[in-house]
Amino acid sequence: MTQKNDPIATFGEALLEVAEENPDVVALSADSSSGSGLKFIAQRFPNRHFEFGIMEQGVIGYAAGLATTGKIPFVAAIAPFVTARPFEMVRNDLGYMRQNVKLVGRSAGITYSDLGATHQSLDDIAIVRTIPGFTVVNPGDPEDIAQATHAIAQHRGPVYMKIGKYPMPYLHGADYRFELGKAALLRQGSDVTLIGTGTVLCRAVEAAELLARKGIEARVLDMHTIKPLDTEAVLAAASETGRIVTVEEHYIAGGLGGAVAEFMAENLPTPMKRIGINDCFASNGPYEDLIGLYGLLGPQIAESVEGFLQSSASALSR
Amino acid sequence: MNTPVTMITDCHRPSHKMKRLTHEEKRGLKRTALKLRRNIVRMIKAGKSGHAGGALSIADILAVLYFKVMSVDPSNPGWEDRDRLVLSAGHKCLGLYAALAEKGFFEKSVLDTYGALNSRLPGHPDMYKLPGVECNTGALGHGLSISGGMALGLRLSGKQSRVFTIMGDGELAEGSNWEGAAAASHHKLENLLVFIDRNGLQICGPTAEIMNYEPLDQRWASFGWSVRVINGHDLDMIYENATDIPFEPGKPSVIIADTVKAKGLSFAEGVLKYHYWKATPEELSEAERDLDAIERTLLP
Repeated sequence: MTQKNDPIATFGEALLEVAEENPDVVALSADSSSGSGLKFIAQRFPNRHFEFGIMEQGVIGYAAGLATTGKIPFVAAIAPFVTARPFEMVRNDLGYMRQNVKLVGRSAGITYSDLGATHQSLDDIAIVRTIPGFTVVNPGDPEDIAQATHAIAQHRGPVYMKIGKYPMPYLHGADYRFELGKAALLRQGSDVTLIGTGTVLCRAVEAAELLARKGIEARVLDMHTIKPLDTEAVLAAASETGRIVTVEEHYIAGGLGGAVAEFMAENLPTPMKRIGINDCFASNGPYEDLIGLYGLLGPQIAESVEGFLQSSASALSR
Repeated sequence: MNTPVTMITDCHRPSHKMKRLTHEEKRGLKRTALKLRRNIVRMIKAGKSGHAGGALSIADILAVLYFKVMSVDPSNPGWEDRDRLVLSAGHKCLGLYAALAEKGFFEKSVLDTYGALNSRLPGHPDMYKLPGVECNTGALGHGLSISGGMALGLRLSGKQSRVFTIMGDGELAEGSNWEGAAAASHHKLENLLVFIDRNGLQICGPTAEIMNYEPLDQRWASFGWSVRVINGHDLDMIYENATDIPFEPGKPSVIIADTVKAKGLSFAEGVLKYHYWKATPEELSEAERDLDAIERTLLP
């Protein structure tokens, strides 16, 4: 967990590899190239990189139109500006029209910590996963990001992938193989399962290590694909560990926690806790401080899990 | 607005050699336009209501495009080299369905399913329900950007195909259109031709009173488009200009087509409530009498 890597550059380099392999891949920028990792493809393939300026509705329509001609457009910009801002274009032009477009929202969650709520994205998973046929990906480490970029290019259909801003630690081993729609096991455990996703997956791993020192063995899943949800892994976790905690840098309503809760309520009701941001516009400040403000630091997560295990045990024994 | 408009005339006939319709071709197209109007009324009769006004105002444009201008193959709707038509004003889809049926993309009996459960003819078009539909429009302000992407993709693939887009004048109040317009000009989409169906009416009243975007010619020109203004029911004008793109090198082209809402039905022409026609049996009979009268003028 020591080596750290820049998520945006990791995406940009992977996109260049994808573009080298597939001549149909094109990149669309909404004045976002330099900040969103598109500079690599722009330099190597200037004729396959299109600038649209700060035009976040129009660019989605252009991407849809390009896709109808067999191109595979990647549109990358600040997360709220490819999701909430152009939502109707995303729903109709990409979802309803089933177009093979890849949206990449960067500086997602509260990683634009200093810029405030307009630039943070805590609802993107919630809104995009309502769109039929959309795949929603939230990679949890640099290897996830790199391999997911290849995987979503190969997947036929609209995809939303969100990535953060700050360097992320490597969590997966050297032989790791990312598979779209399949959760990756990061740590085995039988007392509780922490299902983490995206930028705060590393915090869940840290929490599990802290819990282990107290004799609590937590399973940790990297739920890098929120839709389609790996229900098999969720069911196995619920039946084998009996407790589920979700960890995400997103509203607990509608995000990973929402998706897991929806599934479990109908299939295997299981005591559950959702850790994330609850029904507020997040504040601003240094990223670590902000993460701490919302209880998403590793030790805070460990404490929440411990409290949850105690309260759910006493509730069950009543 | 101070932007100079380079190519605006009421009745545009540039000096260079343009394609012309023969008398026979023109009479054939008039008959085709009449058939489209009959198909529109047929669907209204089946569904008892629908967006008739705009469908009828674009019937002449659709007749010329589908039967004289565009390269499409009803037996191979996905043909890569085809021209594309995007109906950005998706509520005018009865016009599109009428043209696609007449062109042979599907059996005309499908027209009688309009309004039925799971009909292949929804109130706004669905590309996965009906061959020949290029785009799922309906929410206004989407079609132009999608068209621009198509034009860009076709150019990138080295295709000669063109993209024809039909927009409503009321639709222009959607800000997203102006994003699409700016980008089409910025990316020099010569293979894109937009028709603005300027029928002057929208649900709540005259377009100029609801939200005035005039002067349309100057607005489009200021966005970097080459603009022509024509009578949208003049088949010669539609043909000569639609086959003359790009109007200027390096620019997308737009035709502002002055039309009459519900054109062809004497009782409905220019009458607001026929934007969405809830048809009575008496009106349907009158519509058929009107179309019969037009047909008599077209007899040899």
